[in-house]
Amino acid sequence: MDETVKARITIEGVTLGYGQAVVLDALSLPVAPGQVTVLAGPNGCGKSTLLRAIRRLHRPSTGRILVEDIDVAKIGHKALARQIGLLAQSPSAPEEMTVEDLVRLGRYPHQTMFQPWNPHDTAAMDKAMEGTGVLHLRDRRIGSLSGGQLQRVWIAMVLAQETDIICLDEPVNHLDMAHQIECLNLVGALKNDHGRTVVLVLHDLNLAARHADVLVFLKDGKVVARGAPEDLMTPDTIEEVFGGKTAIITDPLHGRPLCIPR
Amino acid sequence: MHTIAASTGAMTTRSPRDAMLYGGLAAALAVAMACSMMLGLKIYSPAEVWRAFTAFDGSETSVVIVNLRLPRAIIAPMTGAGLGVSGVIIQTLARNRIASPDTLGLNAGASLAVVVASFWLGVSSLAGLSLAAAVGALLTSLLVFGIAAGAGGLSPLRIVLVGVTMAGLGHALVEIILTSNEAALEQLLFWLSGAIVDRPASLAANGGVMLVAGAMLAWVLAPSLDALQADDATASGLGVPLGLVRGVSFVAIALLTGSAITMAGPVGFVGLVIPHAARALAGLRHRHQIAAAALLGAIYVTVADIAVRYVIYPAEAPVGAVTAAVGGVVLLGLLKRRAA
Amino acid sequence: MSAIAASHKSARTGVVLGLLATGFAVVVILAVALGSTWMPIADVARTLAGLGERTQTIIVFNLRMPRVALAILAGGSIAVAGFLLQRVTRNELASPSVLGVIDGAALGVVVFLMLFSNESNVLVVPIAYQPAASAIGAVLAIATVFILAGRQAVSAIRLLLFGIAVAAVAKAITTIMMIVGPIYRTSQATRWMAGAVNEASWGEIQITGLALIPLLVLTLIALRHLPPADLDETSSRSVGLNTPVFRVVIFGLAALITAAAVAFVGGVGFVGLMAPHLARLLLGRNVYIVMAGSFLLGAMMLVSADIIVRVLFAPLEVPAGTVTAVIGTPYFLFLLMRRRSSDG
Repeated sequence: MDETVKARITIEGVTLGYGQAVVLDALSLPVAPGQVTVLAGPNGCGKSTLLRAIRRLHRPSTGRILVEDIDVAKIGHKALARQIGLLAQSPSAPEEMTVEDLVRLGRYPHQTMFQPWNPHDTAAMDKAMEGTGVLHLRDRRIGSLSGGQLQRVWIAMVLAQETDIICLDEPVNHLDMAHQIECLNLVGALKNDHGRTVVLVLHDLNLAARHADVLVFLKDGKVVARGAPEDLMTPDTIEEVFGGKTAIITDPLHGRPLCIPR
Repeated sequence: MHTIAASTGAMTTRSPRDAMLYGGLAAALAVAMACSMMLGLKIYSPAEVWRAFTAFDGSETSVVIVNLRLPRAIIAPMTGAGLGVSGVIIQTLARNRIASPDTLGLNAGASLAVVVASFWLGVSSLAGLSLAAAVGALLTSLLVFGIAAGAGGLSPLRIVLVGVTMAGLGHALVEIILTSNEAALEQLLFWLSGAIVDRPASLAANGGVMLVAGAMLAWVLAPSLDALQADDATASGLGVPLGLVRGVSFVAIALLTGSAITMAGPVGFVGLVIPHAARALAGLRHRHQIAAAALLGAIYVTVADIAVRYVIYPAEAPVGAVTAAVGGVVLLGLLKRRAA
Repeated sequence: MSAIAASHKSARTGVVLGLLATGFAVVVILAVALGSTWMPIADVARTLAGLGERTQTIIVFNLRMPRVALAILAGGSIAVAGFLLQRVTRNELASPSVLGVIDGAALGVVVFLMLFSNESNVLVVPIAYQPAASAIGAVLAIATVFILAGRQAVSAIRLLLFGIAVAAVAKAITTIMMIVGPIYRTSQATRWMAGAVNEASWGEIQITGLALIPLLVLTLIALRHLPPADLDETSSRSVGLNTPVFRVVIFGLAALITAAAVAFVGGVGFVGLMAPHLARLLLGRNVYIVMAGSFLLGAMMLVSADIIVRVLFAPLEVPAGTVTAVIGTPYFLFLLMRRRSSDG
């Protein structure tokens, strides 16, 4: 863990709750820029809530979240949407919407009354669709797409936003295995060709280990571990965070830790 | 039309197709309005219509054309446009293809406000009644959305049930007021079903102001409404200020529905059915939906207003009854095909 | 729930039910006592017990009691219909007025009035046939809704939507016919549609009772098969209790009860929304108790509304159904805003 790197996102002492229940408990976390950070943890640990708080879908009762040293609470709606893109957990849109219409929405934060659609918007849209391999589907209705294709379209929408930070909340839960890998490879490539900061919430520990540059374990609304996957994926740590005994081997294909429940 | 071309000009090869679509609709509207001037108890030829405008001579022909038919030919399309666009906004806001000024009780609420204003508050000026209609529509929409959202979420079932109940309540209240004044019952009965006959042209001016204001708001809201078609989290993530957009949408809905109610009374089912047709023709982008809905609504109500002159010839049926009957049948068709 | 708590609960329910029954009796006595002349309560009680003097007996049993009895039957049954609908759709906002039944009945009434009047606007058949027309219209409307809905009838919202569509068409035709007709019939039809408990005869009550009692018995039988309210869709289906056919039967039952109830009194559907609500709030979960409570509350509501109409608005004949709607509105809104419902 290299703490001297100045983090793009800084989460400071954030507490968030609904009524009596506290979901995030004075949580602090630096998020390294240009890397894929994966938030993992048992159900109810607050990982999704944290992601949404970063994108200011929830307001913390104490603490603050900074993006490049500016408090997100102080940034305007559209300005923030130009900095942080979010792929929500179960996004929905009308079935008759075309792929192009949906990706187009990603340009919303860039439009104002006096700057209607311009060629740069078209270029960004096309580039996003091309980058996710859905350009040839542009006139198809999203209701006619397969799960994997649809998810790529959603990612294209977020890409079209041209943000430096991208947050994805459980993006592969409902996909089959092949599509899961394909989608996460796509996500991983984001940091490579644009130096973007990617924050992911993943349910599956092995997927998390395979795709993360930085892995973060949350439990009961607090960060209990943060670092490279190899450092965190030990039987003791996993038992402490998730409960249950496991064995750890190294994935022969990718050199990442693989967790096998006993 | 200019703006549509400009905003999509750089985009895709849709522009020529759009131009044909909207041009075609506008032409159809012009034809409908012309027919509205010509057809009725007596049929007048285009030449007679032309002469009535250019060489008004006080004859029965010219009086009927200018004083009776002209206002109708103007009010009918305006009413249709207002209700059509209002329906588009409501259906997006509610994320529900069945929501409309009728099923949400907005028509009933606006009617109630007008009846209350004229019977109890003694309001008689057109401006006053128009304002009452808009306020009635606004309050009802706030109430319906507030109740539906507050009691567990904007699920389609909930919002429709709340709206239908609101409509029933509105009608019941109107009836109490009417029962105390039976002489006015017959006259109001006609109006309460939506009627464009015997309307002074000044109504068009009043309604026109609210219509234009509402339409402008709708136009400005269009990109945000596009984003609202996705779920709340996604829309927020895109930077849509949800509360503000919804609030302004309510105002737009109130203005558009209020203008239609003031001019023609509650004309039913236009706001329900027209958005479906608009989407089918023009796609989901709201700039297009709104333009198509305005034109289609205008055509629909104008044609309906012509039909009412013949349905129970020689008497006239209220426009609202015809649109409700047609709209009901169309709704049944949509439901059977699971398109709604 | 512990045994002690459970017995406390059922004791409390029993008390509430008892209170309801008492309130019901009070309202009925009041209704009989009120009229063009006020009859002292003691006299009312005596007359009802069969010991009153002759004139009073005639007034009570020939003039006032029928009206009250009709209100009880109609109000109570509509409440039961509403209870059925709310249970089967698992949604407290369902009510008989959304099924298009009442609009169909209205159309039937208007058609009847149109068809059977001669040129001088006098009815050529006894007005007593009007309820038959209303019932026929209602049943035709129900049938249309179910036939059109076909297999989609198993979904609550789809069925409601079909109901709305059919109601709209029926209402439109009704309106046109009323425009064509003269005002005498118009105002009469309008009154009926708003829900009016008129002076009724025992004959009418017999007919209504004849229709309603078998239906209510059927309801009691059907209630045995209703799954517990807290079981969700899928669970109750796996326990084998919630087959689609059964749901359609319940809808049909509710619709038929409504048709019979409104035949004489017209559009009092709002009672069918509020009474079951209140009953469930006050009386808990047992379906039989809640159904009985719904009946009592519905009857009380309509009788009370009728009292208000006769006392407060005389000599205007404001329809009772309208009064229930007006009084019910604030309560209904308040109720909805408070509860966080879990169903959709």
